[in-house]
Amino acid sequence: MAEAIQKKMKAELDKYTQMQKDVSKSMSARQKLETQVTENNIVKEELDLLDSTNTVYKLIGPVLVKQDLDEAKATVTKRLEYINGEIQRYETLLKDMEKKSEQHREVLSSLQQEFQKAQGMAVGKA
Amino acid sequence: MAEKGKMSIDHLGGVVRLREEHEKVVKDCESRIQHWEKISGDYEALNERLHTLPDQLSYDIMVPFGPLAFMPGKLVHTNEVTALLGDNWFARCSAKQAQKLVAHRMKYVKKELDELSLTVKNFESRVSFAKDWETMSARKGEYVDIREDMGHPDDPVAKAKHRVAHKPNSMPKVDAVLDLREPGGEQGGEGEGEGGDKCVMTEEELWARLDELEKLEALQDEQDRLSDNADMNGEDTSSLSSEEEKEGDQARPADDPILKPSWASGPESKTLVSASRQEQQEEEDDDDNEEEEGSSLPTIYFSHTVEPKKVRINTGKNTMLKFSERKEQKEHSKKKKKNGHANGHAHAHHDFHKITTPADIYRLFVDVKNGEPFPRKSILKSRSRENSVCSDTSESSAADFEERRAFGRGFSHDDGATTHSDTSDGVTEEDSPTAVPLHPASRFEAFSGTVVEKDPMPTTVPHLTIAPPALPTILERRQEEVAPDAAPPPQQAPKRVSKFKAARMQQK
Repeated sequence: MAEAIQKKMKAELDKYTQMQKDVSKSMSARQKLETQVTENNIVKEELDLLDSTNTVYKLIGPVLVKQDLDEAKATVTKRLEYINGEIQRYETLLKDMEKKSEQHREVLSSLQQEFQKAQGMAVGKA
Repeated sequence: MAEKGKMSIDHLGGVVRLREEHEKVVKDCESRIQHWEKISGDYEALNERLHTLPDQLSYDIMVPFGPLAFMPGKLVHTNEVTALLGDNWFARCSAKQAQKLVAHRMKYVKKELDELSLTVKNFESRVSFAKDWETMSARKGEYVDIREDMGHPDDPVAKAKHRVAHKPNSMPKVDAVLDLREPGGEQGGEGEGEGGDKCVMTEEELWARLDELEKLEALQDEQDRLSDNADMNGEDTSSLSSEEEKEGDQARPADDPILKPSWASGPESKTLVSASRQEQQEEEDDDDNEEEEGSSLPTIYFSHTVEPKKVRINTGKNTMLKFSERKEQKEHSKKKKKNGHANGHAHAHHDFHKITTPADIYRLFVDVKNGEPFPRKSILKSRSRENSVCSDTSESSAADFEERRAFGRGFSHDDGATTHSDTSDGVTEEDSPTAVPLHPASRFEAFSGTVVEKDPMPTTVPHLTIAPPALPTILERRQEEVAPDAAPPPQQAPKRVSKFKAARMQQK
């Protein structure tokens, strides 16, 4: 009886840890996106500062590729929007993961209690 | 104390942890601030460089050649700068434009720095508070948390302990009643003895007293009956009996808390009372019921010499009803005879309980004092009394007076109206217009100070509230009552003097 509970507990624990990892991954991804957002904002502002006289390059790998200022601006804007969308998605994902992890936590705690009871009984029997 | 200590320790642990968390946040903020400050410094330097770079067309420099070598070279196109805008975006711009970019970035950095410093400030204050709290709980610091022990829940509340609403083994109501009477000071030895004793009396003693009074009342009833039957005009006897009854009743109110209210037992007792007029068997029950009823209300009995058991009831605004108790008794007795002894009460009970008109209610639900039904306050209008035999009497002053009046009103309905026969429903076949089971209201006139000497029957005073006013007439009466009360019952057999008469005599 106690052993079965123990197995259950282990399985549950594994699931829970997995969930926790996913959550943390999502969290870090979201943070990255956040930085990108700020960066792109700065780029946008700085591009606004520049005028068409100076050329704008985009670094693709080891190559600097010339870019039109307006194109650059558009690109940056698009990227910005994309990033924001990504952030939203990640947020929802994070919420769901949190809920699931909560459920797992509860299950785990209940299992733990059962295990303790069983252990207590086993001790009593013994 | 152990609990307290434990609590403080827990508190301490919690506070310590709180402080630690706060400090962590502060440290983190500080590191970030350092980072930003470094960046800010870098940008400052860059700005400077950009500022000076276009001063010369070219610079001779040692160009780094790999990680370990340098080679001499020249720095040309000093004004052309390729600036990284962020996110793999570059822009070729002049030094000045680069400077603008740098300035813009600097702004951002500065903003970040300000935010962080604010956070640090907040958390620092929190940390200091936590520190203080820690010292407080550990009782090391100057500031001490003021705490008051609520005390153990087992112990009674201090207030409640010191204040005792009632002394043990004392009947509160009894005391109240007795106190009321004592200021009047008319009770004499017996009353005072009662008052004095009752404070200490136990319930058993009270019951014993009750029994005594019951016997007293029984005797009174007998005498009443005898006097009623033998002497229609025997107000003396009735007065005597009324005095005794009054005494008994007054004593009995003390037992209020024990006995149920009179009105509840009213209908039953009334029927029993009526049934027992001629029968000795039910006397005791009668007495009991009467006692019960009487006990609910103190009774003051008036007896007047003039009219034969005819009661003047102030039934409305300056209207009075004449009530003959004798006739009522006759009715009762006849009814009882008719219905037979065995089923007397039951039938009477049923008959009485037949209600067809509002007046029946007042007929039914009467308080019985000394065998006489005592009417209650009636809500029936006095208009119905116009046809009744009424006479103007004194104005009403007391609330009881009103009651009597009101009740009289109810009965006036019986009296004058043609429905009288309806109301009498098997109760009184030979009902006479004047046969109304009412009590004289003139008693209350006595209360108010006016004396109406046409009060035939001993009646009950409904409320204790009447007593306290202690009007002279009442006092005198009470004095009179006290005197006979003090004497044992047998002594009351001889001549009874009307209380008012006695009062007048005294006054003379």
